[in-house]
Amino acid sequence: MKNQHREGEKKAANIIVQMGIFAVVLFVSQIISSMFPKSLVVPTPLIGMALLYILLELKIVKLEQVERFGDFMIGLIAFLFVPSGVQLAAHLNIMRQEGLQDVIVIIISTIILLVVIAYTGALVMKIHHKITNSQPDQQPKEVIDHDKHNLV
Amino acid sequence: MTSTILSNLTLPFTGILISLVAYMIGMWLSKKSNGFFLFNPLLVGMLLGIFTLMIWGKLTHMDTAAVYTKYYLPGGNLIFWFLNPATVAFAIPIYRVSKVFKKYWFDIIVICFVGGFISLALIQLVCKAFGLSTASTASMLPQAATTAVAMPIAAGVHGVPAITAMACILNAVVIYALSGILIKYLGLRKISPVATGLGLGSAGHTVGSVKALQIGKVQGAMAGVSVLIISLAMDILVPLYAHLFM
Repeated sequence: MKNQHREGEKKAANIIVQMGIFAVVLFVSQIISSMFPKSLVVPTPLIGMALLYILLELKIVKLEQVERFGDFMIGLIAFLFVPSGVQLAAHLNIMRQEGLQDVIVIIISTIILLVVIAYTGALVMKIHHKITNSQPDQQPKEVIDHDKHNLV
Repeated sequence: MTSTILSNLTLPFTGILISLVAYMIGMWLSKKSNGFFLFNPLLVGMLLGIFTLMIWGKLTHMDTAAVYTKYYLPGGNLIFWFLNPATVAFAIPIYRVSKVFKKYWFDIIVICFVGGFISLALIQLVCKAFGLSTASTASMLPQAATTAVAMPIAAGVHGVPAITAMACILNAVVIYALSGILIKYLGLRKISPVATGLGLGSAGHTVGSVKALQIGKVQGAMAGVSVLIISLAMDILVPLYAHLFM
């Protein structure tokens, strides 16, 4: 596996080609996105993400043809969010009225998301393992007993 | 002479420069404070950027919103555009863990849709409890999706995308600050690794993925996968939910 990875990196496609692949994916995604009705907005990057995954899965696009540019972009992502945050400067009146409530609601919402998704997940996975009668991955036995306790 | 210089300020360079300098100060503060959670580069960058525009408005007797639109937005839009390829690039880490993804794809979809729906109901309840306006409530709903996806969803249900963006940024800050305590007291090490990963990824976005990776490989992989699936779930659920219950 590691060797394959190394080989792949050696043959990494030219950065212009990599950018070209992203450009094509985005272009097609934009067209698909514009075909959805106004009541169901499907953002272009969401379609692009799914599209690129399918292309990789079908081996139409190889990992080494997108890897270098993709990893570079993901490395930049925190910086790329700065303008979205600064956008608040245009809405300072809302922040003055209910900024504090907004922040408190966001903090609570974050914890809600973590708890609800994680525990819904635990329940669904438990049902999955019961139906297929398989053992969950990476779980020592005593821990599973504990898990039962937590849920019921 | 002064007017020529001033007219240059409306070019994209201004917004790019403000963003870069603000973010770099954030990076420096984060390094100096050994990663103190409030000195996260993105949060500092965002607050310093807003602060700069406020001072600018005060000095030139302009409204902050007007300064933002005239001087910051041209550069801000350029940076913002690159979120498109960056979000698409998340397909790569998902493809790298496609083995786990293929094994549990059905469970993952069920978890994100069912869990997502329950979360939406609870978040709306909290918004009501704190007396938020309808626009703010609508902006809070899509926050589990990744920012570049959550903002257009918020706009679609008459929310304020700027508030949604702030929510997504603060999600990451909260998870960065509290994940240690939360993982311990919620017993997240003891439940299914798939569930833990999805929860951390949905609540904390990329920061959640990093934290999940610290617990284990499966958790990290699942947190990466959740970027795509929870965004998809939010894209379908939020308009539906807003239509039915708001």
